[in-house]
Amino acid sequence: MTYTNEQVANLIDGKLDWETTFRMLSMPKDGSRFEQYLAALQSRVGFKDRIVLPLGPHLYIVQSAKSKQWKTICDCGHEFCDYRENWKLHAAIHVRDTEEAMTEVYPKLMAPDTQWQVYREYLCPSCGTLHDVEAPTPWYPVIHDFEPDIEAFYQEWVGLPVPEKAA
Amino acid sequence: MEVQTASRVEVMGIDAGGTMTDTFFVRADGRFVVGKAQSNPADESLAIFNSSEDALAHWARGVDDVYPELATCVYSGTAMLNRVLSRKGLKVGLICNKGFEQIHSMGRALQSYLGYALEDRIHLNTHRYDEPLVPVSRTRGVTERTDVQGKVVIPLRADEVRQVTRELVDAGSEAIVICLLQSHKNESSEQQARDIVLDELAKLKSEIPVFASVDYYPSRKESHRMNTTVLEAYGAEPSRQTLKKVSDRFKKHGARFDLRVMATHGGTISWKAKELARTIVSGPIGGVIGSRMLGEYLGDENIACSDIGGTSFDVALITKGNFAIKSDPDMARLVLSLPLVAMDSVGAGAGSFVRLDPYSKSIKLGPDSAGYRVGTCWPESGLDTVTVSDCHVVLGYLNPDNFLGGAVKLDVQRARDHIKVQLADPLGLSVEDAAAGVIELLDLTLSEYLRANISAKGYNPAEFTCFSYGGAGPVHTYGYTEGVGFKDVVVPAWAAGFSAFGCACADFEYRYDKSVDLGVAQLAPDADKEAACKTLQEAWSELAVKVIEEFVINGYKPDDVILIPGYKMQYMGQLNDLEIVSPVPSAATAADWDQIVDTFETTYGRVYASSARSPELGFSVTGAILRGTVVTQKPVLPEDADAGPTPPQEAYLGTRPFYRHKQWVDAALWKMEALKAGNHIVGPAIIESDATTFVVPDGFETTVDKHRLFHLKEVR
Repeated sequence: MTYTNEQVANLIDGKLDWETTFRMLSMPKDGSRFEQYLAALQSRVGFKDRIVLPLGPHLYIVQSAKSKQWKTICDCGHEFCDYRENWKLHAAIHVRDTEEAMTEVYPKLMAPDTQWQVYREYLCPSCGTLHDVEAPTPWYPVIHDFEPDIEAFYQEWVGLPVPEKAA
Repeated sequence: MEVQTASRVEVMGIDAGGTMTDTFFVRADGRFVVGKAQSNPADESLAIFNSSEDALAHWARGVDDVYPELATCVYSGTAMLNRVLSRKGLKVGLICNKGFEQIHSMGRALQSYLGYALEDRIHLNTHRYDEPLVPVSRTRGVTERTDVQGKVVIPLRADEVRQVTRELVDAGSEAIVICLLQSHKNESSEQQARDIVLDELAKLKSEIPVFASVDYYPSRKESHRMNTTVLEAYGAEPSRQTLKKVSDRFKKHGARFDLRVMATHGGTISWKAKELARTIVSGPIGGVIGSRMLGEYLGDENIACSDIGGTSFDVALITKGNFAIKSDPDMARLVLSLPLVAMDSVGAGAGSFVRLDPYSKSIKLGPDSAGYRVGTCWPESGLDTVTVSDCHVVLGYLNPDNFLGGAVKLDVQRARDHIKVQLADPLGLSVEDAAAGVIELLDLTLSEYLRANISAKGYNPAEFTCFSYGGAGPVHTYGYTEGVGFKDVVVPAWAAGFSAFGCACADFEYRYDKSVDLGVAQLAPDADKEAACKTLQEAWSELAVKVIEEFVINGYKPDDVILIPGYKMQYMGQLNDLEIVSPVPSAATAADWDQIVDTFETTYGRVYASSARSPELGFSVTGAILRGTVVTQKPVLPEDADAGPTPPQEAYLGTRPFYRHKQWVDAALWKMEALKAGNHIVGPAIIESDATTFVVPDGFETTVDKHRLFHLKEVR
């Protein structure tokens, strides 16, 4: 099963009809999807760097146009860090650890007890986009979500040449 | 063509499916014809007319000449179902308990995955809620509460009912549904609400209809009851208009019969019936009813009904001459409380798409299918994915020049090319072996499904006769019955029109259900048994009024109606009840109760095992059932004289190469219509007619009996 670039673009925008979406969800993934998906994302972003791997709705690992280094960056172009580091340590962090802060996002008595659980929000320091929210116990270290093995993913999973990378 | 007007045409059956509209006419002498025409969703009556003309042409007769002769006509179709699926019903306003306004949209959560294949059911991402029949914006809650025992805890607030009625009218409601919690247990609050709504509507000079769940489907399970009542308001009235149009066209051509519709409980009801929601599914039920009637002719009381169409394989069991009824089925992705003839279905049919799993390189069938587009062998289909039909064409099962009587020309080379690229090359097989592998996988899937369906219910296939029908059924009959060990395997010559035939066999029967809660200990005193009888009898009397009312609408006198009471019973504390036809016409005494219990225990012993009976738990009655029927004209089967085992020369059409078990053989071709009673054919052979193809491979033989039923046997 293959899909057109337009269908993949509609998928990203949440505008794809349900029947096609359902088929995509329930059938084995089509071989060219990742390439089409990257192309659709690339056409939507303002920066010149090449997207290597999307990490979230507004967060990407890119190959820097200038240095060919792989970096984690925001939609707006803000550079967090090298892709192997935890980008959250370079983000603006907002912690909800009081009842007052919790009632901003949940009705009273319907939020967790902050002695047990806090919310940590990670935002882009430049544009303020909220990239991630953690809900850990108060003392828990910042979570490093995952370290992708991009080389293996390109070569062994999707069968594409690995983009050039400066050390 | 046979010109004969001596015998009257008496019965007509209609199966208006999604793609084809089949009609089936039977004469008084048992001769029948099947007609087919393209369905026409915009005007079903036209498709029925065309299909009738197609059928009657075989007798060189016409609609104007035959319709006035008909004594009875039964319709089954997808009109109601399509209306619901495409959400083209009335704008319904819903009144429920305050705080429960979202219940209808939530659909018990499981409506988000109803109708999905297992893989998709367990895959949360694919779950999705359909648009509710009534949006929250036209739903209003009123203060009221009746507890589970039926005690009114908070009385209904009349002012609120008046207020929400005005709001719902302002919101453009075209019908109002009322469904309050526990109303099946105590109907008083809901009836009160209904009367207030009617009064308020009268003040507003509004004539929109009001549907209270207690007046229609007083059964436990809140979501089911609410959905069913909403369905009645939403879809039934518009569907009635469709049926009226069909009826009017019949009348225009001189018909004098009253059109009846196949209903989910296996009987037929008038298109004027009060509860029309139960016509939502009708086509597949026809086959089960037809099988039961054929079983009576053949003296078989245990039958496995198997229907294979383009998209699915449906199995139903008839045991001791009765089919099972499911009381809370789901249809059109809605949980409903309608009695439905129990059927199991697997999403594999002749039109199923065939693909290779890219990782395991194994062949996968479906779950989607090409439907009326056949496969890549039909160039006009626009398809490029291989289907089961493509494999059939390549292997010589189907005649490419005679698909649907030649209406569709199939391109064998096109199918070969697609199978080569998509299946054969990646698997390193020849095109024939790849295609044969697909057929073997389908046959195996279906026969395992059929076998499991019988043995999982505790039966032995050797006690069952398998009936095989549906457009694609006879192509696969040998494949899915081989090795299962049925007593007999029967393919009717009219397999393609079998559902329409079955509809014509159905009784004119209304059925009403009511939930009751009765518990009586095994050795209870007579007074307890009498009290239980009283409750049951009250429920039957209440239902009898409704049943008789329906027949009166059709001009019958109450005396004409034969009432058949029934009940649902279980051992106290067990989860599943059994539906029983009552051994007593009315219940009053302790002796009546004992008979009611005995009949239940006998049935329980048959369905499960005698040793599993647990009378020490005591007995619960969970539902009262009342069926009412009147006498109608039914089809009779042909009775042909035995013409001996040798088929007549004019039935022989030559041979066609046919591939199975890794070799090409020449299969003898026979024209189905020209075969005579008693004829015996040994495989490899293919028996063709316009609408169906019956495959008898090497190792099988078949005989036509006097009723034009083919009996298929494995050669020992």
